[in-house]
Amino acid sequence: MQLASRIYEANDISAVQELYHSSGWTDGLPIVPPTADAVQACLEWAMMPPDQLIGIEPVRGLAITAEKLAINAVMAGCLPMHFPVVVTAWMAMMQDEFLMHGATASTGGCAVLVVLNGPIRLELGANGTFNALGNSDRATAVIGRAIRLCLINLMDVRPGVIDRSTLGHPGKYSYCLAEDEEDSSWLPLHAQRGVERAASAVTVMAAGAPRQLMNEWTTKPEEILETFAAEMRANLRHYSIHPGNYALIIPKQLREHLQAAGWTKTDIAAFIHERARIHRREWAEVGKGAVVRDRGDSVYPAMESPDQLLVIAAGGPAGGFGAVIPPWLGNKSHAVTLPLGVCIDCEPPKK
Amino acid sequence: MTFRVLDPTAEKAPPAGKLAPRLDTLEGKTVGFISNGKEGTKGFFKHLDQMLREEYGVAKVVSRTKSNYSAPADKHIVDEIKSWDAVVSGLGD
Repeated sequence: MQLASRIYEANDISAVQELYHSSGWTDGLPIVPPTADAVQACLEWAMMPPDQLIGIEPVRGLAITAEKLAINAVMAGCLPMHFPVVVTAWMAMMQDEFLMHGATASTGGCAVLVVLNGPIRLELGANGTFNALGNSDRATAVIGRAIRLCLINLMDVRPGVIDRSTLGHPGKYSYCLAEDEEDSSWLPLHAQRGVERAASAVTVMAAGAPRQLMNEWTTKPEEILETFAAEMRANLRHYSIHPGNYALIIPKQLREHLQAAGWTKTDIAAFIHERARIHRREWAEVGKGAVVRDRGDSVYPAMESPDQLLVIAAGGPAGGFGAVIPPWLGNKSHAVTLPLGVCIDCEPPKK
Repeated sequence: MTFRVLDPTAEKAPPAGKLAPRLDTLEGKTVGFISNGKEGTKGFFKHLDQMLREEYGVAKVVSRTKSNYSAPADKHIVDEIKSWDAVVSGLGD
């Protein structure tokens, strides 16, 4: 397997780190040296030649190849088995409707949220329970980091270069979670979004930081969901009025009440769609009166339709904590779900 | 132990656009403005419009606004650029 990338020699591991940091090729954390062997192992696992075109970034016309994704994946700490998820996430990000250039360049400072569904979660040991939005496990940590390193190195999404974020948020280091499908009676996210349930899938969303909420004082579905809706209304007031994909992270303690009452994800989305909306005049209450103009009575829902809500079962077994993950800027970017490529009877090639 | 490690960047420059021929003068020319539509563009382009006409003798200023401030200019705007002598694309941030 012939790789095309330029090779650098470094005398020791410290020299490797300094080479990559000083060249602006990292996120500030140490990287795993991307040697030809490690990169080839990723490509072999995914059964891709190095020059396989994964896609062309639609705005600047940048060609993204398997080899370059693999180099960055190795740097992030990915093992070969993680690499197909990185590839699929990038294929999803390069769909026109994701508007990757706008989302990654914007002053709004969002990150790419990656949600894993299906059997791949179990194969990789991705954990959707304890600390689901934090450092929950190796797989989600390295996959999320690989997405960012690829953006930095393949699209120049560096702070002050293409990345013009005012603040950004910690998810820009890594923002990946697995849905807890085993401890939920709900349809997993990918199945809810039209992918075969038995398949593995990756969903990407241009996402702000999680807004954590808590309600441990009720078992009524409407009251639990009202807390989520209120957090979304706060986002509509304080951040952006644009409707689009919101994600709700619902932990076991809250899920059990909803599921016991027979509420499905579709029921939740319908309820939230009705409740998560504000009048434009409310902006005057939070210091934004200047843009209310003559449209104070206009009503702004958080989503254009209920199916824009991504409901995700995740979180540790105890605690009535949930989260609302808001969109970067409403419908300017749409979440994309893609199944992982499957090959019946295929095994990774043996050396 | 010597490490042989790979370049993680694209290594190839993105497809470059070709610069239009530079103008010797703005006198009598048509200048197009492409605004991203953000609030801050209004004052900026209003002032620039006045300056170009009064101080540089620009004959005509054409103002266009993108439908999505985070995405490239709409096709109908890009098509129109051919009929302009110069373009100013300003950010409103």
